[in-house]
Amino acid sequence: MSILVDIQHVSKKYKDAPRAAVNDLSLTINKGDIFGLLGPNGAGKTTFISMLCGLFPTTSGEIYINGLTHKSNSRACKQVIGVVPQEIALYPKLTAWENLMFLGHMYGLGGSDLKEKVKENLTILGLEANMHQKIISYSGGMKRRVNLIAGLLHNPQLLILDEPTVGVDVQSKQAIIEHLKKLNKEKGMTILYTSHHLEEAEDFCSHIAIIDDGKLITQGATKELISSNNCNSIEEVYLKITGIKFRDK
Amino acid sequence: MKLLYSIYKEYKVLTRDRAGLAITFIMPTVLILIITLIQDTTFRSVNEASVPLLIVDRDNDSLSITLEKSLINSKFFVITKKQMTDEETKTEIAKGTYFIGVIIPENTSKKLREKSGARVTKLLNSFSGDTTEIESALDTNKLNVQLFFDPITKKSFKTTVSNSFERIISQIEMQSMMSALNEKMQESFPLAKPSPLEITPIVTLKEDYASYNNSSIIPNSVQHNVPAWTLFAMFFICIPLAGNIIKERDDGSAFRLLTMPGSYMIVILGKMLTYVIVSLIQFALMLCVGVFVLPMMGMPELNIGNSLPVLFLVAFASGLAATGFGLLVGTIATSHDQASLFGAVFVIILAAIGGIWVPTFVMPEVMKKISVISPLNWGLEAFYGIFLRNFGLKEIFPEVAKLLAFFAASLGGAYLYQKYKRLK
Repeated sequence: MSILVDIQHVSKKYKDAPRAAVNDLSLTINKGDIFGLLGPNGAGKTTFISMLCGLFPTTSGEIYINGLTHKSNSRACKQVIGVVPQEIALYPKLTAWENLMFLGHMYGLGGSDLKEKVKENLTILGLEANMHQKIISYSGGMKRRVNLIAGLLHNPQLLILDEPTVGVDVQSKQAIIEHLKKLNKEKGMTILYTSHHLEEAEDFCSHIAIIDDGKLITQGATKELISSNNCNSIEEVYLKITGIKFRDK
Repeated sequence: MKLLYSIYKEYKVLTRDRAGLAITFIMPTVLILIITLIQDTTFRSVNEASVPLLIVDRDNDSLSITLEKSLINSKFFVITKKQMTDEETKTEIAKGTYFIGVIIPENTSKKLREKSGARVTKLLNSFSGDTTEIESALDTNKLNVQLFFDPITKKSFKTTVSNSFERIISQIEMQSMMSALNEKMQESFPLAKPSPLEITPIVTLKEDYASYNNSSIIPNSVQHNVPAWTLFAMFFICIPLAGNIIKERDDGSAFRLLTMPGSYMIVILGKMLTYVIVSLIQFALMLCVGVFVLPMMGMPELNIGNSLPVLFLVAFASGLAATGFGLLVGTIATSHDQASLFGAVFVIILAAIGGIWVPTFVMPEVMKKISVISPLNWGLEAFYGIFLRNFGLKEIFPEVAKLLAFFAASLGGAYLYQKYKRLK
């Protein structure tokens, strides 16, 4: 399998912070992987994703996406990535259709292609009947589904999902996960997924990395990770590795 | 296409925000209507103490000396004496450097004495019936002391000042006549009883507004309040704009947009253009209030000058300055509440020192000096220039340049702050 994301000894230390948010992190994500990035609060997941998206530079180390770095070709790197933030990053007074058309245009799409793509995605995720309603009138699950579609419009090679199913009902969660699995299987879309739902992560991810205190603790294929740690689930592995103490700062 | 769609999105978001629309359009309309009506009487009785007055004294004789003394004694004027041409004097007054310009022509005192003497002689000769000498001495041309008024001075104030000048000059004339009469009477007719002294004025005042293109506008509270509160509303746009930016940052939209190739700058540009368009619509609406609505309420109609393109250029520059400021506030503030509070307080302070509430010409000297730091003052001065002095592009260019520089500085500040945060 070819490598899509190659992280080499990446560190990030914020000015005035006592320690590095990400500390000498190295990992690879192959094309077609569903890669789970797990860790307690404050482990450095958000900082890592922000650097991967090119929002701010690394303190040291390199991030390669398709062999390119943000320094050398930020536009090409960003074109590869689709992001679904944890927050509902939509305009509440616009309809789902208007939101997605706007974001599609921002990805450089347009015309009938974009319209078809928006309609297709809304239909798949069960929102066709409500697409001309304002987002403010949507339920949490409906908003999450639109939030997901917004990251998929330009058919990214790498889809970054930050807690995509937080706060949604079982039906919406099921629809989201199934749609993502389908995209991975049919289109070969690589997915980087973060969540605190460890059971969902175990079911969904082909590979998992656990980070804590900015450092990579372990990584590998999900099943191998469970067996090599003599555990029955990822949750057991996670607790075994990260411990049970609170991460309050 | 990205930019157009970004503007379209902002348009949709704005038009669905009723509270935002109310702040944007209804607030300035109400402010203009209420404050113009309230301040109308106040404007009519503007405090006229310490009025800057320019004397161009080409006489340098008894009349000009007495006139100057009387003006100083009135404690009404701050007097500056200069030598310049009539046209230069008019330009100085038109620029607003002085409220009043007085030109005393050469030999006015001498001619006044001659005329007084002639009138007295005529009076005395009337005793003997001799008219030969009188005809040669009496010159029918009157002596003119020229007065120029700044176009923004109130009519009532102008009348008061003119009356004061007439009174002073009448006194000088009278003194001159009396002294000539006394002299003659003592010389020629020590025992005679003369007929009553002729007191018709020899020197008259010739008044004119020193405005360009022969335009004589009588300023009023409409001329002040319409541009003043329109500018205030334009700068108040910084609050919804900053709020919009912070909201996008808080809800993750900015994060998503930043991950798209080259999109975030376009979204920001789209936002700015949308808000500039909104500020131009605000401006047009407020002009309509000044031209059509206020006259219906018994107020004078707003005279919008002769150059609509220059007027809209000032509005455009003001809109850019306001949106640039909004962008800076939105970038620096960490929450919507912070942006609202900081933006509102800062705009109110800038408005206060910029002469929005109380015009700068009635401010104390120290506040006049401070007022020039406010971008609202730059905009207001430019509008004054167009409305009251019929200024063109050349004359208002310094104010427009300052507004554009403020816009550029705000953008630069926002960019540098963002860069600093990114590298932190």
